[in-house]
Amino acid sequence: MYKHLFKLIWNKKKQNFLFLSEILISFLVIFIVFSFVVFYYQNYKQPMGFKYDKVWRISYNNSQKTKSSDTLTLFYEGLKRSLQAMPQVKEVSYSGGNVPFADSHSTTNIKTKDKEFDRVNNYNVDISHKQVFQMQLLEGKWLGKADRTDKGAIPVVINKRLKEKMYGAKSPVGKNLWYGEDDKKNTREVIGVVADMKYDGDYYGGADGMYSKIDTSFYRWVGTISLRVSDDADAAFESKLYKMVANTMKDSNIEITHYAQMRESKNAITIIPLIILMIIAGFLIFNVALGLFGVLWYSISKRRGEIGLRMAIGASGKSISSQLILESMFLATLALIVGCFFAVQFPLLKVYDVQASVYLYAIVLSVLFIYLIVFLCSLYPGKQAAAIMPAVALHEE
Amino acid sequence: MLKNYFKIAIAVLKRRKFFTFISLFGISVTLCILMVGTAFIDKIVSADYPDMKRERSLYINSIELRNMKEGWMNKSLLSFHTLNDFMGSLKTPEKLAISSQSTATNTYVNNKKIVVDYKYTNYAYWEVMEYKFLEGKPYTAKQIEEAQHVAVISEDLKKAYFGDTGSVLGRDLEADNVRYKVIGVVANVSKTLLYSYANLYLPYTVSKVSWKSSDLMGGYTGVLLAKSVQDLPKMQAEYQQMVRKIPIGTKEFDHLYVAADPYLAGLTRNGFGNEHDTGVAKVIAIIGALAFIFMLLPTISLVNINITRIMERSSEIGVRKAFGASSSTLVYQFIIENIILTCIGGIIGLLLSVLAIYIINAADVISNLNLSLNLKVLGYSFVVCIFFGLLSGVYPAWRMSRLNVVSALKAQ
Repeated sequence: MYKHLFKLIWNKKKQNFLFLSEILISFLVIFIVFSFVVFYYQNYKQPMGFKYDKVWRISYNNSQKTKSSDTLTLFYEGLKRSLQAMPQVKEVSYSGGNVPFADSHSTTNIKTKDKEFDRVNNYNVDISHKQVFQMQLLEGKWLGKADRTDKGAIPVVINKRLKEKMYGAKSPVGKNLWYGEDDKKNTREVIGVVADMKYDGDYYGGADGMYSKIDTSFYRWVGTISLRVSDDADAAFESKLYKMVANTMKDSNIEITHYAQMRESKNAITIIPLIILMIIAGFLIFNVALGLFGVLWYSISKRRGEIGLRMAIGASGKSISSQLILESMFLATLALIVGCFFAVQFPLLKVYDVQASVYLYAIVLSVLFIYLIVFLCSLYPGKQAAAIMPAVALHEE
Repeated sequence: MLKNYFKIAIAVLKRRKFFTFISLFGISVTLCILMVGTAFIDKIVSADYPDMKRERSLYINSIELRNMKEGWMNKSLLSFHTLNDFMGSLKTPEKLAISSQSTATNTYVNNKKIVVDYKYTNYAYWEVMEYKFLEGKPYTAKQIEEAQHVAVISEDLKKAYFGDTGSVLGRDLEADNVRYKVIGVVANVSKTLLYSYANLYLPYTVSKVSWKSSDLMGGYTGVLLAKSVQDLPKMQAEYQQMVRKIPIGTKEFDHLYVAADPYLAGLTRNGFGNEHDTGVAKVIAIIGALAFIFMLLPTISLVNINITRIMERSSEIGVRKAFGASSSTLVYQFIIENIILTCIGGIIGLLLSVLAIYIINAADVISNLNLSLNLKVLGYSFVVCIFFGLLSGVYPAWRMSRLNVVSALKAQ
C-alpha cells in the first residue's frame, strides 16, 4: 500500500514540488516560533527564587563628595538606621546596581584549584539582602557580620546553578575559589548555597551567581537601596520617603521604583515581540492552509475519472478519502524529513547556548502541528471525493 | 488590448470565487503587514518632531576608550566638557546641541506619584531642534549662565502635575526634590526619539552632577548641525581631525574613538557596528532577508494557486494556441492578469493597513507614537505590489506557455 502510494507520488514529483516546498518553509517558520514558545515556557515554569512584591528600589547617584570610606560608612549606616526607623519599612539592603529586573549585569571569571568559570554574575549585597528579597537558603549559611571566615578567607554564597556546575552533587561548603586575577590575599570560601533567582524576568532562566558582602570600601560604588515595605505603604508614605532621602542626599538625583512594576516592564519587553511574531506566523500558516486546501480540492476534480472507476469496482467511500489523506500526509512527511534535517542542526550545534531539550520539543511540536494542518486541509476534499457517484463520474469525459 | 485583458482578468477572477478569495486574502494581509512594518521603520529613521533637520545633522552618542594590548574597554556617553570644549571648537558646524540622556525621577503631587523624565540642555539645543511651544519659550543663554531654576515641560507633564488648567507659566513645579519655575510648555515628544525625548527640560547649569568635570565620559549626547547638506563631508573631515587630537588623559587606555554619524548609522553602530563599520549595511541586509523570507511563503502559496488555475484554463489556452497565439502573447496576458490581481489585493491591503495603523495609534502601546502612511511608504508598497505580482506570475506563466496544444485540447 505504501509502496504504491510512494510510486504515485514519485511520478508526479514535479507537480508536487511546490507543495513540498510550502510545507518545508512552513515547518521552518513554525519551528522557530515553537522554539521561542518552548524556551520562554520552560523558563516560566521555573520558580522565581525570591519575592518581589512589596519591595521598592531607591536609585541615587553622586551622593557624597568625600572619598574617605570611614565618612561614607558612617553616613550610609546613619541613613540605613533612619530608614529602618520608619514604621512602614521592614528591611533595608544596600547593593550594587545589578538587582532583579534592572537590566544591569556585572560578571567576572572565577577559578577553583583546577578549573576556571567565566561569566559568573557578581553580586555585592548587604547581609539584609536575603530578608528583603526572601531568598531561599539551600545549604550552609548566608553572609553574616564576620568579614572573614575561621580560615581567614572572604565568605561568599553561590547559587544552585553555579554550585552544580562547579561541584556537581558534592557540598561546596568550605571549598575555596579565587576571583579573577587575584590569588592568595583574596581567597574566597563558599559558606552557603541559595536558590537560583530569575533576575531577567519570568521568561529568562537564572544565571550563575555569587554573592559577597559589601565592605566599607564598596560604599563608593553603591547606588541602590532595596527596601521591603509593609502592606500599608502607599503613595503618601512614598512621597515622605522620597523627601527624607532627597533631603539627606541633597546632591543626588533620586528615583523610587517598585520591583513589581519593573518585573512587568521586563516581561512586556520580552512577550510583546513574541506575540507579534506569533500573529504573523499564524497569518502565514493560515495562508498556506488555504492554499493547500485549494490545490487539493482542484486535484480531486482532476482525478474524478480515476476515483469513479475505483468506486465502480467496489472501493468504499471511506477508503477513497483515507487514500487521499494518506497521500497528503505522505507528501508532508517527505517535506518534514528535509525540514527536520535542518532543524536538528540547532540542538546539535547548541545555537544561542540554549538547552537541546528546547529545540527537540519544538521539533516534535512543529511536526505534529504540520501534520494536523495537512490532515485538516485534506479532510474536506477527501469527503468530496468519497461523495463522487461512479456512474456520473465515468459518464463525463 | 489592455482593456480586454482587464475584462478577461475580472471574468476569470469571478469564475472561481474561492481561489480568488484565497489569493486576495494572502496578498492583502501580506502587504498590510509589510506596510505597517515600513511605517514603523520610517517613523524611527526619518525626521520627526522635533528633530526636523536630520538630513544635515550628525549625532554623537557615545565615546569608547580602549586598551589595545590588554583588550579591555570602557564605553559611555560623553561629558559636557568633552562636547562643549572639543566638539564646540569646530568651525564648520552651524550649531552644536548638547543634552543629557533623559533620566527618570519622581515627584509626588496630591499623594499621586508622577514619573518625570528630565533632560539637561544647552541653549543651542533649542535652535537645532524645532519644538512647538504651546506656551512660553525656552530658557535664554543668560538664564543658563546664571543657573536659574527654570524649566520647560511637556504637555503630558503639565496635565499630570497641574491638571486641566489654563496657562501654567510662572508657576512652580517640584521634581527630584528641587523647585523650578515653568517658563514654557511644549507639545509631546515620542519616546522613540533618542536625542530629544523628555518631559522636563532644564539648563545644564542646574545639574546636580557637576558639569564642570574634566572627565571624557559623562551623561551627554551631542548633535552637530551643518549649514547645508553639502557641508556634511567637510564637517565630518574637520571632526575626525579634531578627534585625533583629543588627549586621553589616563595611562589605563591608549585608544579613543567617538563617532559623529547620521541618525541611522548612529543607531546601528551601537548594536551592529564597531569603530570601523557603521553597521548600516548589516542592518539593512538583515531586515531585507527577513522581509524576503516573510514574503516567500505567501508567494509560493500564490504560485501554487496560479498553476492550479492555469491548468483549469488549459482548454482555453489550447484553443488560442491552435488559432495561432504565440507563447509570448499568452505569457504577457497572464502576467498582466496577475499584476491586476495583486493590485486589487494591494488596494485592499492598503485599506487594512490604514485600519491597523489607526488601531495601533489608538491602543497607545508606545505613548505618543503616531504612525502614518506618507507618500514614501505608499510608493514603496506600490513597488512591492508590482514585484509580488511579477514574482508569483512568472513561473506559472512559463509553465503555461509550454502546454502542448493537442493534449490541452484533449484533456479534461
